[in-house]
Formats: sequence, structure tokens, C-alpha cells
Amino acid sequence: MSDLDQTLAALSDPTRRKVVELLRKKPRPAGELARAFGMSPPAMSRHLRTLRQSGLVEEEHGGEDARVRVYRLRREPFGELRGWLEDVEAFWSAELDSFKAHAERTRGKAKTPR
Amino acid sequence: MTPGDAAIVSVFVAVPPAAAFDVFTTEIDLWWRTGRKFRIGGRRAGRIYFEPGPEGRLFETFETGSGTRTFEVGKVTTWEPPNRLSLEWRSVNFKAKQKTFVDVTFEPMRDGTTVTVRHAGWSALPADHPARHGLEGPAFTRMLGSFWGDLMTALREYVARSDDS
Repeated sequence: MSDLDQTLAALSDPTRRKVVELLRKKPRPAGELARAFGMSPPAMSRHLRTLRQSGLVEEEHGGEDARVRVYRLRREPFGELRGWLEDVEAFWSAELDSFKAHAERTRGKAKTPR
Repeated sequence: MTPGDAAIVSVFVAVPPAAAFDVFTTEIDLWWRTGRKFRIGGRRAGRIYFEPGPEGRLFETFETGSGTRTFEVGKVTTWEPPNRLSLEWRSVNFKAKQKTFVDVTFEPMRDGTTVTVRHAGWSALPADHPARHGLEGPAFTRMLGSFWGDLMTALREYVARSDDS
């Protein structure tokens, strides 16, 4: 399965999508996620395992209490930086198209001499 | 700067380099797109302009209920008409020392100019970027938002395909 397939498969479940939505705001302990969905900890734990295996989330130990495991969204599987750069490129493409249109309209020759 | 962290976009424009450089700088407000995605002031009345020259800057102004606001988008680091223009570039949600780098080159190409924008320095931002601590700056949120939007669209298409089969 490709990375994208794996990511999409993990996200094809509505509960897991909502977990990801929640984790977008901030990392949360597994227990809190289970409560947020009215789920038993083992049921939530299965979803978190799928998300973890797909590389979408990672767990870290939460501060003082080493037993508390906090889940956070990983960015790498999304090609995080690549994603931004694509946005930046889309931004500049739009600007340069507009620049070209304006420059050619105001400064371009009607016909290129040969 | 980290290799591979630059966004690079080129366009061919059918005017000579000198004209291209001039339009790019002195007429920026006439071609720079309007709206939330492109201007800090969004659709509010405003202006984007270069203070020209090697010590110049790029500003955006926009009208608010309490007067005109001015934001310094960039500081010119190279001003070499008609070949090259470089700027330090800040988005509105950047912290004081955060900046990225924009380099614009104007190369003669047949009967026109190839204009290339290279926007680099993004990899330096994430580590202590406000968005990482949940303080979401609008521009950054939009960036991330559109990324997630794309992922969700891909997901919907994927799910629709799976349902079809």
C-alpha cells in the first residue's frame, strides 16, 4: 500500500477523521480522546493504533506523569513542507500570471517583429 | 537556508527585462492580486508599493475603521535592474525575527524575459512558529487550511471511488 493509500485508509473512518480534527488544535491524552467520543479506552486505543501505524499521529509521554501518553499529529506523512511549498508556488503562480498579463497589456508590442 | 525548501515559479513575459523589472516594482499595485489570499488588507481599500532602490522596502497599506494601517512586507536586499531583485519577506503572522527570502530574476529570453521567483527559508519557520503552539496566525492557518482542504478533497474522492467499485 502506498503512503497515500495508507493515509487515506486510516482516514476513511469517521471517528479517526474526527480524532485528527481534534488533534489539529492541540495534542491530547488518549483518555481525553476516548471521553470526547464516549468510547472505551480500548476502543479508542485501536483507532489510535491505526492512526499511529499510518504515521498520521505519534505518541509522546506527557510531561510529569510518564504514564500519560499524549497523541499529536505528525506532519511528515503529509509532506508538510512540500505542502506549504506547493501553496507558496500556487500563490506566486497566480501573482506571476497576473504580472504577465499586466506587463504584456501595457508594455508588450502588438506584434513581435521578425 | 536548507536546500529543497524553496518554492520556485517562472513565467515568460513578452517584454524586455527592463520593462519587466519596472512593471514588477513600480506597478506592483496594478497587477498584485486582490483579496484575502493575496493581501493582508483583504478586500479593503489599500495599496502595495515598493520604496525603490537598494535600501528599499515593500509595503502594504490598507484602510481600517481607525485609519490607514501600513505593514512592511519586505526589505530589499538586492536591487539590480533589470536583472535581479531580492527581498526579505515577512507574512503578517511572522514573529519579529522570522523571515523568508524572495529572489526574483529577469533573464532575457528570445523576444522577452523569463521572470523567476524563488521563495526560500520556509524550513526555518516551523520549529517555533506560532501555529505549532496553537496560536494560529491567519496566513499560516490559511496555508495549513488549504493543505488540509486538499487532503480532505483527496479523501472524499478516494471514498467516492471505493463506493463506486
